[in-house]
Amino acid sequence: MQWFAARKQLSSRPRLILAIMSFVLPILTWSLVSYVPWLWHPKVEITEPGDVSYFKDGLLVDKDVFVNEAARVSEAGGAMPEGRPANPIYLPAPHEVVTAFYTAFTTEPKRRNEKWLHESLWSSIQVIFWGFLISSVFGVPLGILAGTYDFFSRLTEPFVEFFRYLPAPAFGALAVAILGIYQAPKIAIIFIGTFFQQVLIIANTTRKLDPSLLEAAQTLGAKNHALLFRVVVPGILPDLYKDMRILLGWAWTYLIVAELIGTSSGITWFITQQARYKNFDNVFAAIMMIGIIGLTIDMLLARLGRNLFPWQRAGARA
Amino acid sequence: MSVFIRRLFSPLLGVLLSALSAVSHAEPLKIGYSDWPGWVAWEVGIEKGWFEEAGVDVQFEWFDYVASMDAFAAGKLDAVAMTNGDTLVTGATGGKGVMFLINDYSNGNDMVIAKPGIGSVKELKGKKIGVEIGFVSHLLLLEALKQNGMSEADVELVNVPTNETPQVLASGQVDAIVAWQPNSGAALNLVPGSKAVFTSADQPGLIYDVLAVTPESLANRRGEWLKVMKVWYRIVDYMKDPKTFDDAVKIMASRVGVPAEEYKTFISGTKILTLDEAKALMGKAEGYGSLYGSSKISDDFNVANKVYDKPQDIDAYIDLSLMKEM
Repeated sequence: MQWFAARKQLSSRPRLILAIMSFVLPILTWSLVSYVPWLWHPKVEITEPGDVSYFKDGLLVDKDVFVNEAARVSEAGGAMPEGRPANPIYLPAPHEVVTAFYTAFTTEPKRRNEKWLHESLWSSIQVIFWGFLISSVFGVPLGILAGTYDFFSRLTEPFVEFFRYLPAPAFGALAVAILGIYQAPKIAIIFIGTFFQQVLIIANTTRKLDPSLLEAAQTLGAKNHALLFRVVVPGILPDLYKDMRILLGWAWTYLIVAELIGTSSGITWFITQQARYKNFDNVFAAIMMIGIIGLTIDMLLARLGRNLFPWQRAGARA
Repeated sequence: MSVFIRRLFSPLLGVLLSALSAVSHAEPLKIGYSDWPGWVAWEVGIEKGWFEEAGVDVQFEWFDYVASMDAFAAGKLDAVAMTNGDTLVTGATGGKGVMFLINDYSNGNDMVIAKPGIGSVKELKGKKIGVEIGFVSHLLLLEALKQNGMSEADVELVNVPTNETPQVLASGQVDAIVAWQPNSGAALNLVPGSKAVFTSADQPGLIYDVLAVTPESLANRRGEWLKVMKVWYRIVDYMKDPKTFDDAVKIMASRVGVPAEEYKTFISGTKILTLDEAKALMGKAEGYGSLYGSSKISDDFNVANKVYDKPQDIDAYIDLSLMKEM
């Protein structure tokens, strides 16, 4: 079997193996760095403080600090400190993250107004859903119009092009002033972060529609209305669907900044709070949750796409 | 499926319903609070249901500190937990608040932390210090320098967000940082051998933590705020009683998401004030031993650092008459 053939699809078994490898390789790298003591490990975790006044059991110090202190103690003839190689607190080991992942979901709320983690996640998903939905309700039609008619393109795109560079989080204070402190301003940030990109991307996709389709339809007597709804929209639908999948991922990246606005809520509350107290196993677990949710939704949408547009081979590929 | 849809729509419905109910009867008092031991203490009253018992309708909303002041300035909150200095800043820039309840003062939680090998403030001469310029840690640094016969000109300031100070000290690119808990504790842990060369315990009263309320809410709903204050002193009693202290810590620790034992260290650097202790700080005097004096010093600092242009009328920011009624 040939593994390297330009623009040729491999058969399904090797493709699956490679897809699994794409996850195994980074996890393997992470595991090696975490578990093989001579790889990286720039710190020393103290197991026995010896005669160094400020060493404590479990403390992380730089390797050279440890070596210097040990040398000093050895010169003075005191009790030697002991320790084992360790990574910085910012990089927890895989098993720590897995444990944190599990306990985060199983930890019962201790106070009456506290939430389960899955409730926080649900709140974040709602923010994304509404932000993306509202953005699409306006962005998709506008994008298609701009891609079809130069009139709409000139009327909207120069401004949209300008606005998409403005940082969405900077509108946070204004969003709070207008929309309050709960979910609405957060949804607004997702909207601002998604909408302007959406218009441009969809306009471009629309413009890429094969012009011969339009010409053929016009030859057959199609007018403006029919051209738009019978040719352009069906013609771009599979690509539009792909664009929307990419844009949804885009919306997710705005979640953290959006949820910092107004009351602390959702998965962001969990991440920022745990990071503040340097519990990075929890932080990584939460980051993984976002990744898993995102990937799952995308895979579901890809599957749905295969059923919706069976004639589009390229569009059907996950 | 319909349950799914209903749950998706529920937040919008909630907004609509609350908008409708606002017309029919008075809203609860909305209070913003954030991660500082003196404010996390409110959680004890919330969890125990003491506000319901006191017959006052409150709604506490948890924020990031800066976000809570933004929401207050935008008129979305009746009251917010702030420092006295930040009350002036928020007021000067649009969201007028009146300090009517003093929760605590920082008693060691704010620190100037020097890297290993530097043992005193004096040794920082000519050195680089990471600090969030124009904020309360900057004020602490100036006081530390002043007490050691130096001024800002003797050191080099590097503007660093307080959240990032632990990493910045660990990077070795500055010789000291200024931070409050939990960042200060994190920095001490992260850089072994580093030392707090000056803390807010060296100058009590530099930073008071208060509940600031909008003037109109204080005027119109005075009776309700008095009830809130009564709950606060019930919380203080609960925390000061050795028998119930652990239970209070447990509730507070769960609010911020750390183990109770770990959280105790943060509480010890905060001097939660009893009513008598707070009353001693209510006189109009100069210096740190008075809320007025401390706020005046903050005001001078804010003007000098161009946080805002005009000195503020301190008296208009403080109304301790409710405390006198207690």
